[in-house]
Amino acid sequence: MRLPATTAMALILSAGIAHASDFPSGNVTIIVPYSPGGSTDLVSRQLAVDLAEIWGVSVIVENRPGAGSMVGTTALSQADPDGRTLLVNTAAASTAPAIQSLPFDAETDVTPIKLLGQSAYVMVAGSGVESDTMSEFLEEAAASPKFFATAGVGSSSHFAAELFLQQAGVEGDIIHFSGGGDANTNLMGGHADIYVSNTASVIPYVRNEQVKALGVLGPQRDALLPDLEASGELGIEGININAWLGMFGPGGMDPDLVARIDADVSTAMQSDGFQALLENNFIVGGESSPEEFAAQYLEEMQLWRDLAEQRGIEAN
Amino acid sequence: MDIFANLALGLGTALSPYNLLYCFLGVFLGTIIGVIPGIGVLAAISMLFPITFHLEPTAALIMLAGIWYGTTYGGSTASILLNIPGSPSSAVTCLDGYPMARQGRGGVALLMTTLASFGGASIGIVVLTSFSPVIAKYAIYISSAEYFALMLLGLVAAATITNGSAIKGLAMVVLGLLLATVGMDSQSGAQRFTFGNLELMDGLSIVALAMGLFGVSEIVASVRRIHPGDVDPKSATWAAMKPTRDDVRRSWVPLFRGAGIGSFFGAMPGTGPSLAAFMSYAVEHRMSRTPERFGKGAIEGVVGPESANNAADQTAFIPTLSLGIPGSPTMALMLGALMIHGINPGPNLISEQPGLFWGLVMSFWIGNLLLLILNVPLIGLWVRLLMVPYRMMYPAILMFICIGAYSVRYSPFDVFTVLGFGMLGYAMRVFSLPPAPLLLGFVLGPLVETHFRRAMIMARGDAMYFLERPFTATVLALTVAVVVWSIWAGLRRRARDKSGLLDQ
Repeated sequence: MRLPATTAMALILSAGIAHASDFPSGNVTIIVPYSPGGSTDLVSRQLAVDLAEIWGVSVIVENRPGAGSMVGTTALSQADPDGRTLLVNTAAASTAPAIQSLPFDAETDVTPIKLLGQSAYVMVAGSGVESDTMSEFLEEAAASPKFFATAGVGSSSHFAAELFLQQAGVEGDIIHFSGGGDANTNLMGGHADIYVSNTASVIPYVRNEQVKALGVLGPQRDALLPDLEASGELGIEGININAWLGMFGPGGMDPDLVARIDADVSTAMQSDGFQALLENNFIVGGESSPEEFAAQYLEEMQLWRDLAEQRGIEAN
Repeated sequence: MDIFANLALGLGTALSPYNLLYCFLGVFLGTIIGVIPGIGVLAAISMLFPITFHLEPTAALIMLAGIWYGTTYGGSTASILLNIPGSPSSAVTCLDGYPMARQGRGGVALLMTTLASFGGASIGIVVLTSFSPVIAKYAIYISSAEYFALMLLGLVAAATITNGSAIKGLAMVVLGLLLATVGMDSQSGAQRFTFGNLELMDGLSIVALAMGLFGVSEIVASVRRIHPGDVDPKSATWAAMKPTRDDVRRSWVPLFRGAGIGSFFGAMPGTGPSLAAFMSYAVEHRMSRTPERFGKGAIEGVVGPESANNAADQTAFIPTLSLGIPGSPTMALMLGALMIHGINPGPNLISEQPGLFWGLVMSFWIGNLLLLILNVPLIGLWVRLLMVPYRMMYPAILMFICIGAYSVRYSPFDVFTVLGFGMLGYAMRVFSLPPAPLLLGFVLGPLVETHFRRAMIMARGDAMYFLERPFTATVLALTVAVVVWSIWAGLRRRARDKSGLLDQ
């Protein structure tokens, strides 16, 4: 097949530039860097349904699990920044680069687009812990060091636990499990003591009374979980982080395109299905601008890099 | 809790025409996928996963589950007739099933496999129904030290089951363990043997490894060897399927033993039907008064593992449905199907969704009955599927293998991995090195290592921790006994061979 030179030229030119006005020019893929069935997957699938309605194209969710979300993120970094390849990730987006050597630059090769929601980091305890609150736990942990479960090396639960150990000045050992479900189950069996993670991955088990919630990390109590003690009120300073879910695009996206997607995702987030999902998991919908989200992303990444250095967490 | 009311509710749910249709569809697809070597159950379920969004959650789960256990029925057909495992859990069935087919007893093997599958599955369902809450409760108290000991026993037992040299078996287990270290270290995050390659960060793909090692190498080896006439259409006639009185006598104990082993390993997170089948084979081989018949068409070596893997297929749902812990990627997909519909798996699932849980359990009975019908009177259909001329079969299977390897994580790298392991598998065949222990070492490697290291963290570095725990110490002692036994058995065999030579 031969194309007239002008057509070919036009094709080449238009392929290079993605305009906000003609977005989306075809089906959109949302990469989920985790296995199907997890909380990130659930949120993304709900979002895909709502976005497909707004954009009038198919929005496909593609699971690319592995390496603490970095396999999917690498795929994203290599995609064209035309807005047709997006990714939804947790705070792992900022923790994993702190210990892994990656084939892309986590600061420039991804574009933070939209903060989808934030939740407190909740500290839960298993059958091996006698305390019912964080203040009691601090005493118990001082008397006998506890085991802190994580959802994997470099996961946000790993860094949240390390941050707590450092700021609270508590002794403890880290044990890595293969995911949030695994960590919770091992707490139930008494094979580990404490797990610090976002609300979505601990609340179901707290509701079933399989693990107990001791408190939240942060300067003050969480508005949605007012019964739980905050680390700040116990005199533990320097913990001011939240768990979050956010949408990313490949690096170098046109700011107009980012603004366009930000607006459409904001609309999609108002759907009943999405709101119910947030409410069920004690997540507050994100309202910050793409710039604010990008700043938060970079700031946290620096925090975790510093922490990794201070605590001697390194992969290589 | 009124168990009969629950069973009645489940039966009512499972027998609704809508659910019945999807149950049939599931087991039918499962059998086809099982019979055709190269497409695994994981690839098949991943491909069909999107369809389930549009179904009722119960029907969706019934269909996916039907594919899951249907594959295990179908998988043995290719194992017996072609020596290619149609599914990983029926790899063991090749060992004695194929020799039986070569002796013209393929029909008997097919019939006995189906009956063993049905028997094993039935026992598995009974275990699932009655012990589900109890086993689930105990499973969470099994700690890393116990898992480590059990898996070590599994590996040593598997390495010494091979009829060839036990040294070769152990060597292959170690090779499997080494291959399993590729990727990110689970406890420190360090990259091992990845050479900076991101594709290797998550390790080699199990699907690609298994397909290459078993599928491709078998095809390469068979291209010259197998002729269209190799699959005996007569093996599927009623007359050829009639087992002798001796077959029946030898089969019923392994059937129950296999079902017991399968029920246990199915319910344990991290293990599954493949390990159950391996273990059952090892046990039958060890218990047999005539171990020399194994590998040459011993019916026990077919019945035991097939009963075990089907029982495990059913009890695999215990941790999945009662704790929300998937024991395998396939089970994770099943959980995904539930969560897509807003159902949170966990201990409350049974009380909150009784219709779904008991409906699913009862659909297993129906599905297994359907499979019995599909696999005994209709066996001819599946045999005919295997009789498609090989010049057409090979490229098709190879293509399916590539699609299967690719579709797990959309990675062309995995397709090359298949190629690499296909060559390795062929080389191993030439040097008569057994591939099954390698696969087992590879599958269990990361688990053994993770559990060992977790246990060491919990023991704060004290190795005596393993011996201080009664259960762990017992299992470790048993492991040592197996090693000593195989050394002794080897020496005795050698002595006997020598004296035999002298007699001549």
